[in-house]
Amino acid sequence: MKKNPTLLFFLFAAALLFSGQPSFAATTTVCIECHGDLPGDLGEVPVAEWQTSVHARYQTSCHDCHGGDPTDYAMAMTAERGFIGVPEYEDIPAFCGRCHVGVEEDYRESLHGQVLAFGGPNCATCHDNHAVQVATIDLINEDSCSRCHSYERPALIKEEISATETMLSQLETSIAALYRVGIDTSRLEDELFATRNDFRRLFHSVDIDKIRAQTAQFHSDLEQTKAAVAELEDTMGQRKLAGGALVLLLLLGGCIGLLIRRSYHDQE
Amino acid sequence: MSEIPATSTERRTFLGLLLGGIGAIAAGALGWSVFRFLSPIDRGNEDSQVRIARSLVAVGGAHFFAFQGRPAVVVQPAAGEFIALSAVCTHLGCIIKWQNDSQDFLCPCHAGRFSPSGQVLSGPPPSALDSYTVTLDGDDLLIG
Repeated sequence: MKKNPTLLFFLFAAALLFSGQPSFAATTTVCIECHGDLPGDLGEVPVAEWQTSVHARYQTSCHDCHGGDPTDYAMAMTAERGFIGVPEYEDIPAFCGRCHVGVEEDYRESLHGQVLAFGGPNCATCHDNHAVQVATIDLINEDSCSRCHSYERPALIKEEISATETMLSQLETSIAALYRVGIDTSRLEDELFATRNDFRRLFHSVDIDKIRAQTAQFHSDLEQTKAAVAELEDTMGQRKLAGGALVLLLLLGGCIGLLIRRSYHDQE
Repeated sequence: MSEIPATSTERRTFLGLLLGGIGAIAAGALGWSVFRFLSPIDRGNEDSQVRIARSLVAVGGAHFFAFQGRPAVVVQPAAGEFIALSAVCTHLGCIIKWQNDSQDFLCPCHAGRFSPSGQVLSGPPPSALDSYTVTLDGDDLLIG
């Protein structure tokens, strides 16, 4: 069979375009090119940790936090190009808070934030720094919290928020499933992200009374999203039923067609 | 009483009717799907307007309200100039906040900043905020 080179070229180009693989080129900066080859904490360790992080997944690279110019070897680490470098321990909340504004606000008002100057925890204490992952309720655990204080209070907070967190996770899964079958879920995703972000801000306050008082409102917001998801799932269920019935009808039609054909043979 | 067996022609007529019925149902289902696919999406109350008293929007201030079931905001950056916008950040859908000091919008999730007219000033939002028409009606603003 003769192969059409133009067609092959377009198929190859389409495969490259739609392969869904993250482009490494997009995240390769002069920071990584130099530091990636350095041993220890100035190089291979933070780079390798960052590559596993949620920041890397969304292409938030070194310069987005540490400043500097990711395109210029000579000027990359100059104050002139906005290089910040490594923040002091007490400056970490402000460092992360440049992007995570709302969370910083609640953290600052919390007991954690108020004891920062006395060695209290900063963002990296619980979330790690370069290896930061998508936050989940599992970050509240005895091993982690017991490094600084008893687990009694965190356990209460975890218990208080677990039902809402479970609901958030379930809705996230349901919305992803609807998206996979072709439903436009952008609005639902937006609503869920906004609610989740506000809810997670809330428990950075580590104030059990405040969390108790406000959790009901979050639960109510999520109930609305849940109702919208349930409606879409019902529609999908009805479509499946209708599709199944149509397939059965077509099969029946095929059988009847065969019987009609057979009746001509009988006549002969 | 003996039964007379149906002739091939009679059997064919009966089977043909059945097949026609099935074909009609299948064609109807297909036609309905195509009709639903081509029909405009029902956007409910999209054309509805919201009335807000002008006094609720201070000069240099903002007033948040619900528009078409979603958060929206109207600002008055200068006396008599009103701008209505969606209050949903175009990055990941968080609700933006009005900053009185800097006279701009800030998204608390990832620090996206928008001008009073909804244009992206900084941060990750990929596009400007959706804007809505504002009409002055006496002491009220009609939005939408």
